[in-house]
Amino acid sequence: MSDTTTGGRIASRMPAFLRRADPAVATAFACIVLLLFLGGLYSPNFLSPEYILQQFKVASFLGVIATGMMLVVLLGQIDLSVPWVVAMGAMMACAAAAYGPAGAALAIPFGVLCGVLIGVVNGIGVAYLRIPSMIVTLATNAVVQGLMVVYTGGFSPQDSAPATIRYLATGFAVPGVPNAVVIWALIGAATVFALTRTSFGRAVYAIGNRERAAYLSGIDTRRVVMIAFALSGGLSAFGGVLLAGYASKAAQAMGDAYLLPAIAAVVLGGTSILGGRGSYLGTVAGVILITLLQSILSVMQMPEAGRQIIYGVVIVAMLLLYGRAPANR
Amino acid sequence: MAGTVPLFRMEGISKRYGGVRALEKADLTVEPGRIHAILGENGAGKSTLIKVMAGVVSPDEGRMTMEGRPLVFASPAAANQAGIASIFQELSLVPELSVADNIVICDPPKKFGMIDRRAQRRIAEAALARAGADDIHPCALVKDLPLSRRQMVEIAKALARRPRILILDEATSALAAADVARVFSVLKRLRTEGLALLYISHRMNEIAELADECTVFRNGRNVATYAAGTRSEHEVVELMIGREYSHVFPAKPERDFRGATPMLECRNLSWTGRLNDISLTVAPGEVVGLGGLDGQGQRELLLAFFGVLRGMSGKIMVNGRAVRITSPAAARGDAIGMALIPEDRKTEGLMLPMSVRENLSFAALDRLTTAGVIDRAAEQRMIDDMVKLLAIKTAGLDIPVGALSGGNQQKVVIAKWLMRQPGIILLNDPTRGIDVGTKQEMYRLLRRLADEGAAILFYSTDYDELIGCCDRVLVLYDGAISRELTGSELTEHALIASALNLAGGKPGVSPGAAA
Repeated sequence: MSDTTTGGRIASRMPAFLRRADPAVATAFACIVLLLFLGGLYSPNFLSPEYILQQFKVASFLGVIATGMMLVVLLGQIDLSVPWVVAMGAMMACAAAAYGPAGAALAIPFGVLCGVLIGVVNGIGVAYLRIPSMIVTLATNAVVQGLMVVYTGGFSPQDSAPATIRYLATGFAVPGVPNAVVIWALIGAATVFALTRTSFGRAVYAIGNRERAAYLSGIDTRRVVMIAFALSGGLSAFGGVLLAGYASKAAQAMGDAYLLPAIAAVVLGGTSILGGRGSYLGTVAGVILITLLQSILSVMQMPEAGRQIIYGVVIVAMLLLYGRAPANR
Repeated sequence: MAGTVPLFRMEGISKRYGGVRALEKADLTVEPGRIHAILGENGAGKSTLIKVMAGVVSPDEGRMTMEGRPLVFASPAAANQAGIASIFQELSLVPELSVADNIVICDPPKKFGMIDRRAQRRIAEAALARAGADDIHPCALVKDLPLSRRQMVEIAKALARRPRILILDEATSALAAADVARVFSVLKRLRTEGLALLYISHRMNEIAELADECTVFRNGRNVATYAAGTRSEHEVVELMIGREYSHVFPAKPERDFRGATPMLECRNLSWTGRLNDISLTVAPGEVVGLGGLDGQGQRELLLAFFGVLRGMSGKIMVNGRAVRITSPAAARGDAIGMALIPEDRKTEGLMLPMSVRENLSFAALDRLTTAGVIDRAAEQRMIDDMVKLLAIKTAGLDIPVGALSGGNQQKVVIAKWLMRQPGIILLNDPTRGIDVGTKQEMYRLLRRLADEGAAILFYSTDYDELIGCCDRVLVLYDGAISRELTGSELTEHALIASALNLAGGKPGVSPGAAA
């Protein structure tokens, strides 16, 4: 910590938050500012507080889902079961709400629990059966899709979201701040705490960096992997519940638009797709960036196909950019 | 020899890896129609020599000639082209492909750009016949063949490249006695056909049966070449002794551990043929060494204790109580209190991109947490203690551990386990690739931990270290304990002799696999 080297001297003059900032996170935040600036040139509405608050609200659904994705990506795995776990969370919560007052009270926990169960199945497949996560989560996604289609008989579910769920997504418990944003903030704070202050968080990073070293250090690596997948499933389902509240009803394909953005947000935020490296702040930046990009593209009336192309290109470009960083492995 | 040009000659070949010299001005001459055996202890330079000949590594200096013409290999394929084929201990066959596919895998015969399957089969049949394995069908899948047959395919694959020099590196170590005899008759026939064979083995009886001449390596240099049978086993061992050392070891206390209840004990430990019926004890305060040549089951034995291996038979006892250790998590637990310093700190000991702090406290986190939350003040205290205790030199606790020097990285690996105050410490070659100063610190540390009551099981490939550090050394050969050495028996001569499983090591021990 002494000022013996030039590098040390320069570094010590910089503010602490800049010294610790990950270049990837800084890039993501810079892109957000740039997008807002470009949007502002197009229409001054993009810089109004109402618009920005609205974007935060829309971002919070993706934020909740991306949180789970980030845990799994930190392990060096991936969760492709997001689309139908999101839909299942929404549909199951709405379905439970139809069963009287008890059902309404338990609607949210029930939806989340269904997601956790799918996550546990994913986790068992990856950690204990050693199936590549890309395969097992793709398979569970298909299975859940099938189950949901059977449940609805091929039609859109008639159950609309009950008042509690709608309040959770669109109400204002804190004046001026949508509940969805508050929920994302709470989940985010809990995640930051878990990743930096608990042995679970350390184990997640350790497994992502070098699973063998973590195992030989006496960590129950399989349990950690399973918990991470269970959390990812639970958070996806909870994201679905919130979405149902936002849209007032659950729909079959409602999760399809969240898989690629969730992965993109995590990766844009500087989390290594190989695992072991990344911060939650980066994921927050990635989520906001993706949401803004989506919004601005739709305001500019870019057709859906164009949006998909831009997504894919941005992800590949960012992976190439970050992939060039010197690796310590 | 004057006047005639030898088939192959290397002169003044040197190769360094960092500060370690693997070969130092080594010379070797290979003649056709002869079987030439290479001898030497761990780290004498045998494997580097072969890698240079096979084009896997390029030497720093020196030259190689084939019939007087200079040779420079850019790749293993270039060495093949020049007529040098090698067979390594680990098989290089693709199990899912057929025997014929494997034999011609480097250079398949082609017709119109496609593989000519008929020609391929012809080549394979010829090569198999030459390898004395014409009973193997060329279309059989390699995965369906037993290990000994695969070894024959490996030889056929090498022969299909029409080599003039064939290198066999421990090529028989996986074979049973009857198969060894078959391989030998093939090798002898190849010799009469005029092939030059370079044979590396640690089985002295095999060398006695096969070799025409022998070259002994020591410290990366060839120290003697002699016609087979002109030196006694005792003389051969003397030639192999004499690595240069400048270490100072802490004094060993005079103690008798025989009465004490062993802290760590195993009985009849066996595992899939890699460990055979191993029984040993380590008393509190005792440093027990594991010796022998590399890869005789030492690593597996340590992993067996640490709960990593599945399907193991035998009994492990801690403080006289039988225990079942099913995972490293169980091994490190309070009931057992075991620590393993693994072989490769970069892949098994540390998470290199993570900080020094996170690495140091990682194995002891369960003791620093309440309900999963890390007590950062307690963590800092323990880390400070360890950094001071082991004198770890680091620019800070939050830099990646990968930025430290090798010696300091190894100190971090040891420190992270000492945080748990383990009663039983297993070490897998902990001083490999670290500087002399750190080595000596480590020797003193081991002795101090033993004096404080720890039971230490210490595998080292460095014989001098075993002699200097250990109260007792168990020498492993072929997955079994071939000899136990204590007190004045613990000499380099005895260590090497028993590592080679020579009768001179201990009377009455039969060689591992007599041909």
